[in-house]
Amino acid sequence: MSLTSQEIRKAILAKWHEDLSKYGNFISSDSISGSSPPSVFVGSSSYPKVSVGPMVPPIHGDTGLLDSPERWTGKTLEEIVNFRLNLVRGIQKVSVNQTDGRYIENLQELAMSSKPIDSDLEFYKTTHSNISLDDESAPFGPIGEIKSAKFSNSSSDKSIEKTFYDKDLKAQDAVLKLYHSGIDISKIQKCFSIGMFGKDRKLVPTRWSITATDDIISKSLTQEILDYPLIDSCKIFSHEHLGNLFSIVLFPHRWIYEMIEAWYSNGVLGFGSDFEDAKGIGHPPSIAGAYFAAKLGVVEYLSKHKIQAGVVILREIRPEYAIPVGVWQVREGIRLAMKKTGFVAESFENALDIASKKMSISKNEWLSKGNILKLIKQKTIADFF
Amino acid sequence: MTFEAKTSGSDDLKAIISAISTLVEEATFVATAEGITFRGMDPSHVALIDISWPNSAFEKYECDSDIKFGVRIDEFSKLIKRAEKKDSIEISISDQNMLLVTVGKNKKYKMRLIESSATDTPLPKIPYDSKITLSSSKFDKILGDVQVVSDYLTMHTYDSKADFSGKGDSGEVIIELEKDSEEIQEITSKEDSIGTYSLEYLNPVVKAVGTTAGHITCEFSSAKPLRIEFKVANIGRIHFYLAPRVES
Repeated sequence: MSLTSQEIRKAILAKWHEDLSKYGNFISSDSISGSSPPSVFVGSSSYPKVSVGPMVPPIHGDTGLLDSPERWTGKTLEEIVNFRLNLVRGIQKVSVNQTDGRYIENLQELAMSSKPIDSDLEFYKTTHSNISLDDESAPFGPIGEIKSAKFSNSSSDKSIEKTFYDKDLKAQDAVLKLYHSGIDISKIQKCFSIGMFGKDRKLVPTRWSITATDDIISKSLTQEILDYPLIDSCKIFSHEHLGNLFSIVLFPHRWIYEMIEAWYSNGVLGFGSDFEDAKGIGHPPSIAGAYFAAKLGVVEYLSKHKIQAGVVILREIRPEYAIPVGVWQVREGIRLAMKKTGFVAESFENALDIASKKMSISKNEWLSKGNILKLIKQKTIADFF
Repeated sequence: MTFEAKTSGSDDLKAIISAISTLVEEATFVATAEGITFRGMDPSHVALIDISWPNSAFEKYECDSDIKFGVRIDEFSKLIKRAEKKDSIEISISDQNMLLVTVGKNKKYKMRLIESSATDTPLPKIPYDSKITLSSSKFDKILGDVQVVSDYLTMHTYDSKADFSGKGDSGEVIIELEKDSEEIQEITSKEDSIGTYSLEYLNPVVKAVGTTAGHITCEFSSAKPLRIEFKVANIGRIHFYLAPRVES
């Protein structure tokens, strides 16, 4: 019998409190000294006056791993949650239009640094470590309002620095340029959120900047694959991590994409789905950031192999995924699936059978909650050439 | 290189640009000694527009070598809309790769051209079993009648009779068509045919061409694309192809 979400959550919290009692004096205090991975965070509540600041762990040295989701694959939920809880988040309330001034400029230098940066934060009050976990937000360490912040010198990544100083470059072009020069998506997103791109610069809450970055990159790659020939067979890819089961079905079709999600809420199954064709989605997806993160993972594959396909992604979220750790795990989960050798199916129906085999939801149930069958009734002109 | 084309009024060009705008944002036109053509599909490849505008449909037409020119349809459209109904429109291409557009006697626009990205799109090869010719206003009304219950129009012909129908979550509708001299000129079928087509594509193009076309001709076969012919400038035409929805 596997543990329920509540039990897993309780166990992780108990461990966290045990750690706190050992190292508590580092974290529950009115100051912190450590190396920021580097990491900046922009809150979304009370927009347009948002809580902005660095995240700093009570450790000096190479802390890079603590805020680099690209390097977290293969780790357990507990390990990942501990990365997050180790980061003390300093905040100051700033208007989103304020993208200059010493404080923000320091954070921008932090965001573009290629190495962790020694940081000293002083808070008005002792930080609180009463962590609350829920299904919506990713976990944090303690939060403290910053009285003063000092950062050691940084060495900026040159390509980011160049886009930062180019005030004629549109934000989306900046994102694409950095992506194509090999900068990690989590790094681009941090710079995006701290108002470093575009002509009319603004601070962007972290959660929105994650979605925007995935959306910009995946949209651009989708435009590119529209010119590629169709895949010649149905292929299935899958990956499982952190209590998430992903199956990706590629089939010979003009670009069309649907993601269907299923989750357990108090033992009851819930479903959500969104889709698009070559015109794009045109509205915010109901399944939110996961839609774009997953799309990015699959269009990277199609663009690399210079093929076009219709895509269905099934994601079953098991109760073991007790603590949401962020949408990065969807992107990396799909990327890992697409790195494996796909399985070739005889037909689209057969592919969906295989895709749902390891899941607790049947093919017919997935199909009845999604729209893909309705969508593929629409033929294309090319079917009649 | 000489290229110059002048229309006698502005309605036909407005109808053409407006029809193209329902499918694409950028369009590449081809001009030859015979006239101007355009062919393009929407991003999903569900619909295709094929336009042929022969030289004799223009008041003045001159083209001594084949040229391609690309425009952003929204930019071109804005400019053409500045023309009154009776204004002639004259287009030519400058040395600086600008489109020169003279509206009426004295309005001279210059518009930037874009890199033309035209690939050679073939046309669907299908024998059409059924044919219905009706006024575009009648067709527009029928689309409206069906849309209140459905997102799709089903066209059905049998024994040289026809009905249009639609079905949705809230209910269904069937409209029987009878041949009359005024609005419905022709219903013929070599074979009984039934095809279902998305209103999401049909509505905008029928509205875009509007009454300029007068009568339109719908041709289709079971589970095959629909082709609608809109006549423009007497001898020019817009062919609108729409892929069917098919139960698998």
